[in-house]
Parts: sequence; C-alpha cells; structure tokens
Amino acid sequence: MLLEINNLVKVFNKNIRANDGISLKVDEGEVFGLLGPNGAGKTTLVNQIIGLAMPTSGSITINGIDVVSKPDYARQTCSFQAQTQVPIAGLTAIQAIELVGLIRGGDNIQVRERSRQLIDSLEIGEWANKMGATLSGGVRRIVAFCMAAVIPGRIVILDEPTNDIDPVRRRLLWHEIRSLADTGSTVLLVTHNVLEAERAVDRLTIIDKGKVVGTGTAADLKDQDKNHMRLELILEPGMIFHKVPKFLEQTITSKRRIISRINEKKVTNALNWSQSLKEQGMIEEFFLGPTTLEDAYVRMVGRLDVLEMPDGDIKND
Amino acid sequence: MTKALRSYLLLLRWQALSQKPLLPLNMAVQIMIAIGFVIGLSFFYPEISETTAKYLITGAPTIIILMIGLVLLPQIVGMARKEGTFDYMWSLPIPRMVYIAADATIWILVVLPGVIIALAMGAAYYGFGLDISLLVIPALLLVAISGIFLGYAIAHGAPKPEIAHLITQILVFVIMIFSPVMYPVEQLPDWLVKIHNFLPIKYMADLSRGTLTDLDVNLGLAFIVVGAWCVAGFIITYFLIRRRR
Repeated sequence: MLLEINNLVKVFNKNIRANDGISLKVDEGEVFGLLGPNGAGKTTLVNQIIGLAMPTSGSITINGIDVVSKPDYARQTCSFQAQTQVPIAGLTAIQAIELVGLIRGGDNIQVRERSRQLIDSLEIGEWANKMGATLSGGVRRIVAFCMAAVIPGRIVILDEPTNDIDPVRRRLLWHEIRSLADTGSTVLLVTHNVLEAERAVDRLTIIDKGKVVGTGTAADLKDQDKNHMRLELILEPGMIFHKVPKFLEQTITSKRRIISRINEKKVTNALNWSQSLKEQGMIEEFFLGPTTLEDAYVRMVGRLDVLEMPDGDIKND
Repeated sequence: MTKALRSYLLLLRWQALSQKPLLPLNMAVQIMIAIGFVIGLSFFYPEISETTAKYLITGAPTIIILMIGLVLLPQIVGMARKEGTFDYMWSLPIPRMVYIAADATIWILVVLPGVIIALAMGAAYYGFGLDISLLVIPALLLVAISGIFLGYAIAHGAPKPEIAHLITQILVFVIMIFSPVMYPVEQLPDWLVKIHNFLPIKYMADLSRGTLTDLDVNLGLAFIVVGAWCVAGFIITYFLIRRRR
C-alpha cells in the first residue's frame, strides 16, 4: 500500500473530534476519492498527511514510512492543492506554475514543457501571463491545480479542485486528473461533489462527522441500493413539501430538489404520484432512474450538503 | 549547487515576484520616512549641536529597522497568514527556514536604502562627518536580522493576526517615545533605564553609533545583547513555523 492511515484521531480544542478513528488504504496509481459533507473532517485529514496538522493519535504511513514523525518525507512524496486559494497575487499564472515545478525538483526544459501542456489542455492560455491578483476564483483554482500537477508527487492530493470552475473546464480538469493516475501518480481527491466523483474515482471513502461510513468502488457502495430506484423531483419555485407518501424512503431535500429511494415494486405508484404533482403544478420535473452514488451517499450521510432543510422537515404520510 | 541553495534562490525569486507590486512602494515609503526623519529633527530641535545631531541621526537605522521589522513585517505576515499563504508554502518540499531566509533577504533589501539615505543625508544636512568602521556591516546586518526575527516571532506567535497587529501598534509607541534612541538614556526615569538594560533597542542604537561615529559606546556589550536577542528571535521563529496545528 502506498498510503495507509490507521485509526487516525484529531481532536481540536479538547473536545471537537474532527477525525474520529479514520482508517483507509490507498493503492499505487488509483484515483481515490474522499467524500463527505462540509465539516466531515476531510481537509483535517489531508492536512495531517501533508504535515500541516498533528494527529492526536493513530498513524499515517507513505510507502511504509511514518510521516507523522517524518513530515518532510510526506512533502517530498506528495504534491498538494489546498482548499484555500494559492498565494500568487504578484505572480503571473505561468510564473507560479513554473516556479513550483522548479521547487519540486524539475529541470528547466521539463518544467517549461509540462507547464505549457497543462495550460493548453486546461484552456487557460489567455490568462497565462496575467497576475494572480487579477484572476477569477475559478482560473486561480485551475492554476493551483497546475501547480500541484506540474511535477506531480507520487501522491497528488487535491482538496476540492473543482470549486468555482466552469462546467467546460471542469470536464477538462477531470481528464487531467485521470491522466495523472495514468502516468503513475496516485491521486487523493477530496470533494463533496458526489456526482462528479462517481465518474472520476476508482475507489472512495465516505466520511461523516469524522468517521468512515463507507469504503469501496462506487458499485460496491451502491450495492445495498439494489432493488431500488431513485426518484428525483424538482419543485416549482416557492413550493414546499411537508409530507410525502410512505413508499418514498429516506427522502432528503437540497434547495429545490427532493431526492428519494423507492422499492422497485413501487415504481407504478411513484410514477402516478409524480405525474399528478406535475399536473397540479407542484413540481417542474421528475426523474425516475437507477440509483446513483449520490443515493448511497445520502443513505450513509443522511444529507447532501449544508444548505438542505433540517432532518424531519419532510415526513411520510 | 546544493539543494538548499537552489531552494533559497527559487524562493527568493518567488518572494521578489510576489512582493513586486508592493516592493517599490514600500521602498519609496521607507526612503520618505528616512528623509522626513532627518528634516523633522530640525523642527524638534531648532538649535541642534553637532554632537546631538550625530547622536540622533545615528539612531535612525535602529528606528527604521524596528519600524519595518516589528511593525510592517508582522502586519504583512499577518495578512499572509489570513490568506493561507503559509498553508501552501509549508506544503512544498523545502525547509521552512529556507523560506524564512529568502523572505528575510527581501526585507533587508527594503530596509537598506532608507538606512543609507538617512545616514548620508543626515550627515550632510547637519554637517558632521561619519567615522565609519568596517564593523558597520556586521553591526547593521545584526540589527536588521534581529529586528526581522523578532518580527516573525510576533507575527507567527500571536494567536491571531489581529493580535499581532495590536502588538505592533503598541510597539510603535514604545519604540518612538519610550526608548533611548531619540534622546540619551540619562533622560529616562530609573525604572525604565533598568528595563532598557535588558531590551535590545538601546544596544541596537549603540551598534550603529559605535560603528559610524566616534561616540563612546560599549560595542562589545551591544553585539552580545543584540546577538542574544537575535538568537532568541531565531529559535522562537524556528519552533513557531515548525509547529503543526
């Protein structure tokens, strides 16, 4: 195993257990997802791997080497894109990418070529010579990705790399993340975007409230949802549901979306019910389809993100 | 080229480029402060003897260095802390002290023009000659490096950047009004003299006075005391920046 984390505990201010006994193993060459809602402890976990935070207890090894006692080894082995923006206000995008490449030990020619290639494939050429301070949040985050990928470590840690990025470049970014793994790096990807992660990662761990609630491939995690379908309703603006029929299991809301699981035997009921809601003008649209990783995630975490309505807002009849 | 030297040069480039928008402005402000200091003294003391002028002007390097090291630096480092700069820099495969060395180099470059201009202009303006010893180079470097390390210690040691900011505000006041730089130590009350026997400020001023003029100061003692503060600042900074949350 390249990266092995064992029973990791991180306590802040004596009683906040940001990581509460996390164990996971990441293999060479895989794209490994670390999913969880905001505040689940994902960033705390990667900060301990890279040596920015000190575990309260537990162990982290890279290549069998204990990086809690040897944080320098972690920094040699891992390249890191932090969740916060990179400090490149006075540097141009290309200067920042090339300098980090050189700092990470690349030679001039190699760094220049690789920087150019990343800038081209992520289509940020028009900003390459612009100062960091003038870049939009999304472009700045792509530059931060390039800085982590220019001379990638054996492990590339990306903390929410797609935040603020437009859909087109997001797709290009996922492609680059995949090619990092294809060229031999292991990618540890932190995200709360479940839908994107499902397509991008080989295996993943879902963490919530500092604990691992599920690990495996997306298919493994969805396995418990077999014999079930996913029903998603998009509410008309201003509409609120307080009660839903019994055949809707584990219903959650996220802004205008209502997402639920239904047993395959109840498909006809669900279709009829949804159709009538549409006719009454309660919902804009509905989708019935196979379960996704998002459904497994909802089953394990009980919510999608911090913007949803509190639990219990929606009750079954 | 050793690895540390390579990292140092690359980080020097990084820091110089990062500060490029502010660097000329900072330097200009430092030079203006230096010029203002020289001319302003003549408003303070309408009748100024050559000895007094010599005494005051050779205190200028200390004032300028402490203003930058203990006030401007902690404020800028505080801002960088808030923006998450160090979370990024500390994740790179470079020894953290190499980063500090590169950053300190930039600060020394910011300080130097003001110091030189204040001394040259002061001597010309008040018509006294400087009696420059070769020791002036290690002496002023020591003052600058001590000021910078003490600044880092404040900036990284304060629980929050805002607290570092507050500390710097108090320090400005103490350095300007309650230190024997702008007037002889004899004019201070006894209890404050006793405190200043342990603080570096008086000795920093002695270092520039002893190496730039024929004023009678205990240079050896000044090197020892400022040296000790410099080492203390270095050790504190070293532990603070290696600390993990």
